[in-house]
Amino acid sequence: MADTAKANLEVAGSSGKTSRSRELVYRLSRLWAWFFLGVMVLFFVVAVPIYNGGSVNFLTVRNSQNILVAITPVLLLGLGQTFVIITAGIDLSVGWVMSLASVLSALAIRESFNAGAPLFLSVIAGFLAGALGAGAIGFANGTIIAKLKVPAFIVTLGSSFIVRGLSLLWSENTTVIGLPAGIRAYGNESLFYLIRGEGGGFYFFAPPAVTGDMLRRMDRILPYPVVITAVAVAIAIFLLRRTQFGRHTYAIGGNVEAARRAGIPVDWRIIQIYTLSAATAGIGGFISTLQYTAGSAVIGDPLLLASIAGVIIGGVSLAGGAGTVVGTIIGSLIIAVLTTGLVELNVDAFWQFIVVGAVVIIAVLIDQSRDIIVGRVREGS
Amino acid sequence: MLRRHLLALAAGLAVAVASQGADAAGKIKIGFLPGVVDPFYQVMQLGVEKAAGELGIEVVTQIPPTWGVAVQTPLLNAMVARGDLNYIITAPTDKEQMVPTLQAALDAGIKVITVDTFLGDGDYAAGPVKFPISYIGSDNTEGGRISARGLAKAIGGKGIVYLMSTNPNVSSVEGREKGFKEVMAKEFPDIKVIGPEYDLDDPAKATQMTAAILQQHPDLAGVFGTNVFSAQGAGAAVVNAGLGGKVQIVAYDATKAAIESLNKGDVSLVLAQKPFDMGYLAVEFAAADAAGVTSLPKRVQTGFAIIDKSNVKDPAYSRFIYQVPGK
Repeated sequence: MADTAKANLEVAGSSGKTSRSRELVYRLSRLWAWFFLGVMVLFFVVAVPIYNGGSVNFLTVRNSQNILVAITPVLLLGLGQTFVIITAGIDLSVGWVMSLASVLSALAIRESFNAGAPLFLSVIAGFLAGALGAGAIGFANGTIIAKLKVPAFIVTLGSSFIVRGLSLLWSENTTVIGLPAGIRAYGNESLFYLIRGEGGGFYFFAPPAVTGDMLRRMDRILPYPVVITAVAVAIAIFLLRRTQFGRHTYAIGGNVEAARRAGIPVDWRIIQIYTLSAATAGIGGFISTLQYTAGSAVIGDPLLLASIAGVIIGGVSLAGGAGTVVGTIIGSLIIAVLTTGLVELNVDAFWQFIVVGAVVIIAVLIDQSRDIIVGRVREGS
Repeated sequence: MLRRHLLALAAGLAVAVASQGADAAGKIKIGFLPGVVDPFYQVMQLGVEKAAGELGIEVVTQIPPTWGVAVQTPLLNAMVARGDLNYIITAPTDKEQMVPTLQAALDAGIKVITVDTFLGDGDYAAGPVKFPISYIGSDNTEGGRISARGLAKAIGGKGIVYLMSTNPNVSSVEGREKGFKEVMAKEFPDIKVIGPEYDLDDPAKATQMTAAILQQHPDLAGVFGTNVFSAQGAGAAVVNAGLGGKVQIVAYDATKAAIESLNKGDVSLVLAQKPFDMGYLAVEFAAADAAGVTSLPKRVQTGFAIIDKSNVKDPAYSRFIYQVPGK
């Protein structure tokens, strides 16, 4: 397992019983996020119907798809952030980079469509504009951090302001509208459709042309934004677990100097990681343009902190060297399940901030105590 | 005049609904999703709750903690996923971006009524967006015009003024900006308008931005804050700079803070909208639609009360100040 903390455990462990109980505690501490998610889902499954007198249920097909759509932006921002935080860095620019990508995608889609390109190609143009534009910002971030040795916190904070200005400038201080009408389908339609009840059925790829009651009973399963996110997640998991890039990421997070001495091209990896982080934020911006049929220079602003919270709750240590993409997915799911569940309990949505904040603190405490259990020595602490 | 017509309409609807049988109205469930936590929407919530209480309708309310499509959309989707709502009364936070999500709500069988802001161009009879039942709100363009004339009068017809707005592509403040600039351009050519600039509906940002403009233009004559937070923030900046009373402020939205400033002389004109009416009427319209009424107007203009020093103590005007009991 590409997890240096566990490796340390095996190396530092003493004999027999003590080592096994340490390992058990360590395993439990890694799984607590799953446990919390399970408890939360169970709570809502029980509480929601009781509170609403049986008229509302939590585990419905529609709800599950809603939760998947709700975690899309937070998860995409969190994907790249996972890599960054594993290297003991941080990327504070992802929220505004997502906004910039949203604006660039919208402009690209609109201009290419008006210039005569077919809809599908203009969507591709939008994707490229968003991802590449964002990636360029990430490349700049990574270069300054790696080559000029400026702390990541400062560089990404500074670049977030620049990106914000660029977004407002290029969107001319308003939402970028006038996109072709077909865009709505790309952002809101799905792979499958399920019509519940009488005369219902399962449809693939194209929504059946129904109206009225049958339309009401139609659920969209796996909307395109979720599909795109799933592909991005799969690529991220592959990168982190099975490639040299992933192994180097953990190594840099564990001990930068040791990594350098081992011959890892640290500077180049850092540049790649921040480029990746910005690029995933760029994909998030592109998707939001499709979903809302417009480019917005302010769309990413509220999402930055939620994405970092999702990553930390998921078990990525702020000190670097540990964490997984799956953990980030669990962390982001916790936030999305919370929002949806609270609305269905008719509780003010701002309670989600309070709960998420508390869970983040618990996550960091567990992270700290985990390192004590493992007996790990960290550079500089 | 218009108000009396509106009251007659509301009374007529109440009777129509009651006579159809309280059962039909009592069985519907309404979702209320305004724009953000602020006194304007809190008063609107009072109107919603009053009408719902009288008609025996259950209301599920979610108020977004900050303004924005990314914040309002998940709340809207969660409300739709409940599966038990018949109507959603909402103030869409973007006239273009909220269309797909609200259209999806309609597809799920939930009818939409927009209050305060609109989708598309606000013309639900003949415009690009036709699916909401009605748009109940102020004539914001006219409000902008009134504000412009009020500010021009207060500064003597010439000088530099600053237009502080919240978010682009939001129908309500857009209308106010448009009306304001229209009147200034046509009727007061000696007044130069800086802006609109956007504080993203954050009073702290509004204060910062106004302070910067005051530095840049020490001879600034007036400010128009296009909503609750813009007016509040801009007013704070002017007072902090010691220019209270010298730089004239026109405030849209009659919060207690705006009225206090009016009394102190820092603000010269306050435009009170009628959020209580908007909330109350929206619930009534939902009940009427559920009872089978098909002749509901697609546009209801709820009007303003124009408050200045001369009538602020007059109960006929002060009743429109946004106050929530207990706050």
